[in-house]
Amino acid sequence: MKFAMLAFGLFGVAMAADQATLDLGKKEEARSCVPCHSLRIIHSQRLARATWVKELDKMAGWGTAVKERDALLEYLVANYGNDKPAPAPGMTENGAKK
Amino acid sequence: MRTNRRQMFVAVLAAAAARKIRADDSVTVAGKRPMILHNDRPEDLETPLRYFDSWVTPIDAFFVRQHLPRPAAIAPAAYKLTVNGMVSKPVELTLAELQKLPQHTVPATLECTGNGRGFYTPKVPGIQWGRGAVGNAEWSGPRLSDVLKLAGADQKAAFLEIDGADTGLAATPDFVRSMPMPKAMHPATLLALKMNGQSPDIHGFPARLIVPGWDGTSWVKWVIRLTVSAQENKGFFMNPGYRYPKYSLPPGSAPKPAELEVIEGMPVKSSLTAPEDQSKINLGPTVIRGFAWAGENAIERVEVSTDGGSRWREAQLSAQKLPFAWRLFTLNWTPADPGYYTILSRATDTAGRVQPIVPAWNPSGYLWNGIDRVGVTVEKL
Repeated sequence: MKFAMLAFGLFGVAMAADQATLDLGKKEEARSCVPCHSLRIIHSQRLARATWVKELDKMAGWGTAVKERDALLEYLVANYGNDKPAPAPGMTENGAKK
Repeated sequence: MRTNRRQMFVAVLAAAAARKIRADDSVTVAGKRPMILHNDRPEDLETPLRYFDSWVTPIDAFFVRQHLPRPAAIAPAAYKLTVNGMVSKPVELTLAELQKLPQHTVPATLECTGNGRGFYTPKVPGIQWGRGAVGNAEWSGPRLSDVLKLAGADQKAAFLEIDGADTGLAATPDFVRSMPMPKAMHPATLLALKMNGQSPDIHGFPARLIVPGWDGTSWVKWVIRLTVSAQENKGFFMNPGYRYPKYSLPPGSAPKPAELEVIEGMPVKSSLTAPEDQSKINLGPTVIRGFAWAGENAIERVEVSTDGGSRWREAQLSAQKLPFAWRLFTLNWTPADPGYYTILSRATDTAGRVQPIVPAWNPSGYLWNGIDRVGVTVEKL
């Protein structure tokens, strides 16, 4: 029984982060986050799962209607978790008057 | 100000249009040199350290921090500043009326409250600023106290509430801040109409609050309303936003709301600008450069180490020793041998505050002011 529960637990975790879920999460990001801000502000973060949960709560409170919250969370953790190296930010093009 | 659905719709359309013309994902911000890009909508741009080669930071190199989308351009003739609340005579002031008041210039360092957030461990959410969300400018305009006098502000009121023209999309909270009345009435607190003698443009045209020595969040841009009030504003950007633990916390912990307080004056800090981190320099005389600032105080001393902190030498400071504004420092250095050197800088202010080795972790990553550090390889080039 214990073994069965453990196996189910592992299976559950594997299911949570499968490719279909991550794809759905990416789609949800493009749908629900982009109306208010660009994605750079998300993709520059490297946060623990619990911190991403708080961010999603904050954005829900600010009027974001997230339909696929679980998938979005798994996508964020898988790509922008605190175990990933921080990205080097890019540069803007020159917009100063010559 | 509140956003309506139409404004949101227009913003979404504009954003979609902007993306279309940027198929290569490049971003250009009018009036700005190439800047470190943290976000483009809204704009969050950091100044590369190599631009910091003068006491006054030029506008085209000055960092940009937007919480909310930039408001639609305000026509100077259409601009109105409402002053109301605990006043004897509520007024709506035009730009011309603000220009008629005595104009003052205050040099002051503006630093984003989260400058250096990217250095904290564990990581915290927010713009992952490095060292460049800071700049020093000469701000000119009427004293905020003179503006408040025109409306007969009640001197016994505890707070001034300040609203900018920027508005949040969807249910994102409006950007409104409160400031204790004594700071609002301080002679160096201005409603700036000019930045380095020019229009502040993206930095808050036509009127931007200058709150010398305080965190950047207090310096509200595009000011359209001043409300004299008995109570502190209770909106997001006062609480829980922009609060700092009253006493240090274990890194990664979650403080209770009562353990946090509003940030006011900024700490003492220095940044090294040359040589560049992880660069190679020639074995021979070189100059170590940087700048140091201390919130409402002036910089007393900057010490530099070239051996990882074993020995410290006092750096030369630029002559102007002012509260609110940074001082540039230099140290002539001739390394004796080739090799890898760890250079550190440590500032002390006129109140005796010294930069710490380890700044206190806090859940929003504010007020990073650790001793600065760069590594360089010295070799015969």
